[in-house]
Amino acid sequence: MNRVALLLRKDLLVLRRSPLLLGVLLAYPLAIAVLVGLVASYGSSKPRVAFVDEDNLPSTVVLGGNRFHVDRTIRKVSQNVKLVRLSADEAGRQLRDGRVVAVVTVPPGFVSTLRGMVKSPQLRLELSTGTISSRVEQQVQALVYSLNRQLQRAYIASNLRFVTLILRGGDASFLGSPIQVLGIERAERLLAAGPQTPRSRTLLDFLHDARLALANTGDALRSTAHPIELVRAPGRGRTWALSAEVEAYALGLTITFLALLLAAGSLAAERDENVVARLARGLVGLGQLVWSKVALAAAVAIALGLAIAIAFGLIIQFGDVTGGEPWRRLPLLAVGLALAGGALGALGALLGALAREGRSASLVALLVVMPIVFLGLIPPEVVPPAGWASALLPFVHAVRFFRAALYDLSPWAEVAREGLWLLLLGGIFGCLARVGARRLLA
Amino acid sequence: MTPLLAARGAARSFGRTSALQPVDLELWDGDAVALVGPNGAGKSTLLALLAGALGPSAGRVERRKGVRVGWAPQRPAQYGRLSARENLELFARLEGEHDAPAAVAALLDAFELPGEAEPSANLSVGNRQRLNLAISLLGSPHVLLLDEPTAALDPGQRQRLWKRVGALRESGGAIVFATQNVEELERVADRVAALSEGRLVFDGSAADYDRSAPESLSA
Repeated sequence: MNRVALLLRKDLLVLRRSPLLLGVLLAYPLAIAVLVGLVASYGSSKPRVAFVDEDNLPSTVVLGGNRFHVDRTIRKVSQNVKLVRLSADEAGRQLRDGRVVAVVTVPPGFVSTLRGMVKSPQLRLELSTGTISSRVEQQVQALVYSLNRQLQRAYIASNLRFVTLILRGGDASFLGSPIQVLGIERAERLLAAGPQTPRSRTLLDFLHDARLALANTGDALRSTAHPIELVRAPGRGRTWALSAEVEAYALGLTITFLALLLAAGSLAAERDENVVARLARGLVGLGQLVWSKVALAAAVAIALGLAIAIAFGLIIQFGDVTGGEPWRRLPLLAVGLALAGGALGALGALLGALAREGRSASLVALLVVMPIVFLGLIPPEVVPPAGWASALLPFVHAVRFFRAALYDLSPWAEVAREGLWLLLLGGIFGCLARVGARRLLA
Repeated sequence: MTPLLAARGAARSFGRTSALQPVDLELWDGDAVALVGPNGAGKSTLLALLAGALGPSAGRVERRKGVRVGWAPQRPAQYGRLSARENLELFARLEGEHDAPAAVAALLDAFELPGEAEPSANLSVGNRQRLNLAISLLGSPHVLLLDEPTAALDPGQRQRLWKRVGALRESGGAIVFATQNVEELERVADRVAALSEGRLVFDGSAADYDRSAPESLSA
């Protein structure tokens, strides 16, 4: 049997005899994946926004004949932010302290300006500085947009009542005095019942056209208010927890932890067991020793990665989740797992060679894993240097490979590119580990 | 005729620290060389150089063509999570033993090692040392390099070890062993190489070796 294979078989046997280590290696990255998920969901949770009412908003406001319950309306439209009512001073203090990320102020005279319907009343927005402020601004804009939509509906409904009155006639009031309106339809009937002269026929034609035009006023008003309307379709697609993105990151995260720690720990353990010198006197070259650790990381990555993918797939299959599981892509995923495991194993072997001692190697690998993973999670469009640094490490290429392999309609270009990256990085880290492995003999 | 094994000006440094200054030492068929000297004299480094486990920083180590070397370092070199049998099987295959299971069975029997699946890390110090020595005998070596081989062995095992070494010498093989034990030196060695502070200060017959010299055994 090949010497690398002999060492790999030995390492797998040792791993099988260390159930606690295996359990921790398995549970730890999964726990981290959950924590990352929680952090990600916290990132999209509702920011706390102060609401300062300097106009003493009444509990109800009547606009265009519509009655608005102020609190209920605000609650309804502020689903994306957590509004807290504060005084102006307290809101200012909390904004400075960072306890609220924005202050929305209703200035004095807001309701009277609104009722006057002559000019638009203004809400005042103050934002904290920092990366989240743009997101909060968008959410407050969404809040104002929602308020405007509700008001528009009320205004349109009010205007349409007048249109209906003109169309059909009836009782109404003007400046507090009751009035009776004949209405186009009744006027048309009266004219039709009278003697037909050229003048009356002209009037009848006009009334007919006016009635048709006014009958379409409602739709015209609504489309003017909302030239483009976004209609939310009933829920389709996977939930966040079962998305392709989450599966790719869960695989990437788990493989990164396992491969780095296993390769670093097992290479340094050879020195701890005093075996390196025995092997190096012609039985196994240092290069073969390094590649056996790369092979170990790749083998474990394939086994564990496929187990995760199959578990994920079974949940999707039996949960009848939309989209289904692309079972036919599993062989392609296995290739990605082997490449990713190997590249990360080579990096782990380099860390093991540099650290030399088993416990130090594991600690160093653990310390290195976090920055590698978090660098890969930062969107490169947001922090370009993080993207450049991440491109030189295997994690982000592994995630892209898994994502493309599992769900892209035509994954080949992406898979080939990321596969080459993983091969290249694996080769570089492997060669560096081979050079560093001399330290194990010192 | 060339020696079985020879150090030619072989020296070794670790960083700026010189562990062994240039040493010339030849090992011929049938030799039994005791390597003596106080702690830190360079005995283990010289044995590791001769075994090929370490490369020399200067000079070279020559080996007669076809000569196989077995080496047992002072600290046992084996996998703690593998049993004695699994360790022997792994190293037997790495050594290229033709009939690995037979070689392993013979060594387990000769060194009275437990063959079951108990990890070798759980073995007693003495048993771990026996396993260490058994591994060094895999591959039928012509030369044995043993670093304080009997330190943890009971009298019966010591006797069996030296008997095996005697058989090796009779078949034309040779042995170099580091020791702190005067009795072993007198009983087994026909040659003494004494080291002091990384320098070879004596290389001659055991009879000529002055045991009162400062580089001599501490015993």
